[in-house]
Amino acid sequence: MNDGEISIEGGGSTVTQESEHEGVILNPHAQVCLQQLLRIWLGFERDLSKVPLLRRIDLGTYTVEDHQIFLRNIRQQVIEGSRWITRTASSFDRDHSEIRSTIISHAVDEHRDYEMLEKDYVASGGQLEDILNMERNIGSEALHGFLMHRSSRPNPIDLLGAMWIIEGLGEKMANSWAERIQELTGLSEDSTRFMTYHGENDSDHMQRFYATLNSVCVNEKAIKSIVKTSKVVARLYRLQLEEIEYDIQ
Amino acid sequence: MTVYITSTGSFLPGPAISVDQVENILGAVHGKPSSLRVQIQKANKIETRHYAIDEQQKTTHSNTEMATNAAEQCLDRGFVHRDKVSMLAVASTQGDLPAPGMASMVQAELELPEVEILTTHGICSSSIMALKAAWNSLRLEEHEAALVVSSELASRLLKKQRYEAATTSTFAAKRIDFSTEFLRWMLSDGAGALLLQNKPAPKGFSLRIDWIRGFSHAHALPTCMSVGSAGRPEDPRTWQDYDTYAEAEQDGALLLRQDVRLLDNLMRMGVDGYLRLVEEGVSKPSEVDHFLCHYSSHHFRNKILEMLDTAGVGIPEEKWWTNLYSRGNTGSASLFIMLDEFLRTEEVTVKEGDRVLCFVPESGRFNTTYLQLTVVSE
Repeated sequence: MNDGEISIEGGGSTVTQESEHEGVILNPHAQVCLQQLLRIWLGFERDLSKVPLLRRIDLGTYTVEDHQIFLRNIRQQVIEGSRWITRTASSFDRDHSEIRSTIISHAVDEHRDYEMLEKDYVASGGQLEDILNMERNIGSEALHGFLMHRSSRPNPIDLLGAMWIIEGLGEKMANSWAERIQELTGLSEDSTRFMTYHGENDSDHMQRFYATLNSVCVNEKAIKSIVKTSKVVARLYRLQLEEIEYDIQ
Repeated sequence: MTVYITSTGSFLPGPAISVDQVENILGAVHGKPSSLRVQIQKANKIETRHYAIDEQQKTTHSNTEMATNAAEQCLDRGFVHRDKVSMLAVASTQGDLPAPGMASMVQAELELPEVEILTTHGICSSSIMALKAAWNSLRLEEHEAALVVSSELASRLLKKQRYEAATTSTFAAKRIDFSTEFLRWMLSDGAGALLLQNKPAPKGFSLRIDWIRGFSHAHALPTCMSVGSAGRPEDPRTWQDYDTYAEAEQDGALLLRQDVRLLDNLMRMGVDGYLRLVEEGVSKPSEVDHFLCHYSSHHFRNKILEMLDTAGVGIPEEKWWTNLYSRGNTGSASLFIMLDEFLRTEEVTVKEGDRVLCFVPESGRFNTTYLQLTVVSE
């Protein structure tokens, strides 16, 4: 009988039987991985509220200038994004051809996204050459460096953890930020197209993500590497957003 | 030392008030019916609730009286002489007096001699803070029996006169001010009480307290629900910084506010805390028989619940139970009122050995609290 004390057994996450939801069945390792990824995402999302620029969205003081600075600073990462994704695809061997196909089609979907972002910038009142001439900020350097490093390794399944964060953020921009930014700044939809675009086909993306997670996350080692990469990407992504303040100064 | 909830009590003032009658009690501001009432009531799905004010907005029961009534019922149902109760912990968002603490006032009404008292201050989770402190006191064997009471009298903050007096506030300036009206159609009054003992009751079910945990996220997230500021980001003043209280009231610094846009964070942090407890092995989803949640499932974005299911840690809808829809959202008192009815309702079959997971999130500045109880009999 439990004596009323807090019982902490093992410390590992609960592994239950295979779960099924809308056709997705995750193996027990993938379930535990998803539990941990959810926590990483929720912590990341919460800590975004501490980033000064994003806090202004929460508090209702975000300005047109903030929006321009924001777009100027994330463009580099969006351009580089297609590079690490295609590199990831090419690092998978023939035993992982299914994942390779999934990633290639994802890369095709997104590799010209930065052009949309540039148009948003101009629609927000910015000069095209200013955004074109923008260098990677310190956080973008770190994030890009890490992603290129990981994606160059053979069969880099851990990058699922990176996609989890970056895709999640795309969805958050679409569902939580785009409309609010328009409301606060008086800017039109033309200025937030990059953000809203990422909210489309969410549920398809999730199903594809679950399927891939289920196929590659089949042991403790896989859980660990996916979770670790997800944590690093979450931290470096936040660093990139924090560094936006230095552009402002 | 194992600790048990051996008796419960609750008090809901006046008759059950239906959705359509709510504005008759709180009053139409400047005689004009609210344009947001129906929309907000539809969203929260609360069908009936209770108020400790009448149709003239006169207080019918003080907060102290409600707390005392719930405590008396709890003691009357208990199997322990009240002299044995040596600790009294009382939680409320706002007692009748800003000072002293509400526990002093409730102690006086209950005429409990020389007890150790504790008043916890906060919003919805303040009752769980009080419960945890009392639980720990018993675990440390400093007391054999403790009474934990939580009571809320929100309607005094929500009556029309408060809004009519706020002439220079955001409420007066905007055609629609969601942040000041949201809670007006959400919260209501009531009190609940729990008796804690170091042994189960000799008859009937007791609830063994397995664990109580809380995680606050104020370090990262802005204030979401509050009283005391005018709700303008550029104005750092709080109510006591105005020259007079009258000015603070005019400016809307005494209105209850909820930044609805931030509310999603509460569900997210709620899920995060739950996953943390699962990860630590404290909570085992497959062993949960009943889930009592201060928020109803429809407030959670379905997507998060779906993800929990996919991750194998969802709690099936049939295990959720709440009396929020019939008793109203009584803030910190909600869970105690819920537990009181849970043990008596015929809607759920409760049997020995059942695990009851409870979740009380507080939107104030995002404090999420959890506890697990096990149904036992001597």
